[in-house]
Amino acid sequence: MWRLLSILGVVGVAGGALLLGRRASASSTTDATNEAEADDVEPIDLPPLPTAADVPVEAVDMIDLEKNWGETPPDLRPLFALMEQVSNIVGSARVFAVIAYRESRFVAAAHNGNAQNEQDERDDSKTAYDNNKERNPPLRFGDQAAAFGSGGLFGALAPYFLWTGVPERGKKAPLLNAPPEIVFQPRAAAFGAVVYMQRILAHYRVDDIADIKVGWANPGLLGKGRGSKTYNDVRTRFLADAKALGIDLADPTIPAKLSAASWPGVSVVFEKLVGTLPAEFT
Amino acid sequence: MDLSDYGLSGFQDPGLDLRSASEVRSWYRRQWTGIAAALGFSQSLERQYVASSTVSVAGENQTGLSAFAAALAPSADEAQARVQSTVLASVLARGRQRGELWRTIDDVATLPNGACYPAAGGELHRAFFPDTAPGYFGDGWPGPAPRAESACGWETPLVLHLGTFPWIYSGRLEGPGPGHRWPLEPARLGLGVVASLLDPETNLRQDARQVAAICRTFASHTLALLRNLPTMPPAGTWSRTPPPRLRVGQVFVRDGQVLVHQSSLHLAGLDGPRGRLSVLAYNYCVGRFTAFFALRSAAIRALPALPPHVQQLAVSSPDPVLRHYAEQAMR
Repeated sequence: MWRLLSILGVVGVAGGALLLGRRASASSTTDATNEAEADDVEPIDLPPLPTAADVPVEAVDMIDLEKNWGETPPDLRPLFALMEQVSNIVGSARVFAVIAYRESRFVAAAHNGNAQNEQDERDDSKTAYDNNKERNPPLRFGDQAAAFGSGGLFGALAPYFLWTGVPERGKKAPLLNAPPEIVFQPRAAAFGAVVYMQRILAHYRVDDIADIKVGWANPGLLGKGRGSKTYNDVRTRFLADAKALGIDLADPTIPAKLSAASWPGVSVVFEKLVGTLPAEFT
Repeated sequence: MDLSDYGLSGFQDPGLDLRSASEVRSWYRRQWTGIAAALGFSQSLERQYVASSTVSVAGENQTGLSAFAAALAPSADEAQARVQSTVLASVLARGRQRGELWRTIDDVATLPNGACYPAAGGELHRAFFPDTAPGYFGDGWPGPAPRAESACGWETPLVLHLGTFPWIYSGRLEGPGPGHRWPLEPARLGLGVVASLLDPETNLRQDARQVAAICRTFASHTLALLRNLPTMPPAGTWSRTPPPRLRVGQVFVRDGQVLVHQSSLHLAGLDGPRGRLSVLAYNYCVGRFTAFFALRSAAIRALPALPPHVQQLAVSSPDPVLRHYAEQAMR
């Protein structure tokens, strides 16, 4: 292969740049803040983003990576497709794309809670941790999770994210020993999102696709909050997001109601999406 | 072939042998796989490869173009598509004639419909972006002004960088390639130029001096952007010093490409002296430059085996560098 080396300045100079901006609300943070935060924990390397070649052949006819994705970045579509395929939640790939568009604008390192003016996000994660730590297995990085806020492709609140899979796996849930920064890893974020969607579909009244996003915002809105202003606002915003992104949720490949009836289980989903965590976090 | 004759350095010749069917297949498939990944039609290309048994250069290029067209949605704006297609057909014919297909510069007054199309309300709009300010491909093309007044406000020539389609505008490399938003037919014509430059005959017709000048300008404006990025060793190689640990979203360089760790390449960019530069656009343009010169070298090596009219156009080229190497090859 031809390579442009010196002419294009590809030289081994140390240093770096975090050029991807985080979510808009966090964009005012300085690189120094991000550097300091990231230095707290050694970066975790999970397998790279899946590519079109990683989408199983049997799923290709069902999940076309080129049609009805709007502005979804092409190199993230295989991840969403893999989430659908692994979870057996038919039609969910594009729904995950719309949710990621809202929660992170597809920025994997999106973080709400790292800026001075994001105290509310930190409060939310602290409340989530304080209110739930007694009834859940301990988190090795509990204090960090409590102070983290939310982040990743799907805007997961750190403590809930690290407790993903506890109802099924109890003390063997896979992220209990992981630091909250693992939510920035797209495959880990995808795992959390898939399990979350399965729980919404399996345990709440979900009348249509927009209800999924309502449950994403707050499952309580699917019960007593149904029909409230917040419930309707979330639905309206979700449908507007789909339109802005350019995804037609009425596409015949997307059922009007999604189903998690063929859910393969947390362990299978984790293994297929994430694989094995580094030994120090298992 | 020594590319320093064109003022270029840092290239490594992959030594492609156009007379070897297996090398042709492997090299062209690498090219198209890269193009498809950048433009989002990998799945279509894979489907085409499963159904295709071609081993010719033309067949490989046709397979790539078919995959691209299959992935595009039908055109919504027929008026714009029609005008863009007729204008492009004209621009391409002249570009071929001049040996300057990579970058075309045309007086809009001489183009069909004056490069204007009627929008829904009947108002005439420019069918292309007036890309004449300094950018990553050059220092601007302010003139000459159209010889006749434009009905849709053209005040400059139509400048298109079709060699790097869909990044056809020197000043608009900040995001997805603007040509990718063109309707199906003009987009197919645009990528057809990229494909044709991968054809030995069209490649030899193209004046490499034009490509080299654009490449030098591109390099001069991107050099500083890459200097401070961490460099990772090529995948699968051993390094004496441990490579830097990367954070999610961190941009780095590996094997001549700019990549972003565990994040979408389609969102990453670098802020440079001529505006924001999409990482994807950067890699794609580098890929087009390298492919052009790789094929140019391969075509010269294979010249004695190419048809006589192709040999003739090489030995009588206005480009003295090509003439020199073509004469050597034919001895």
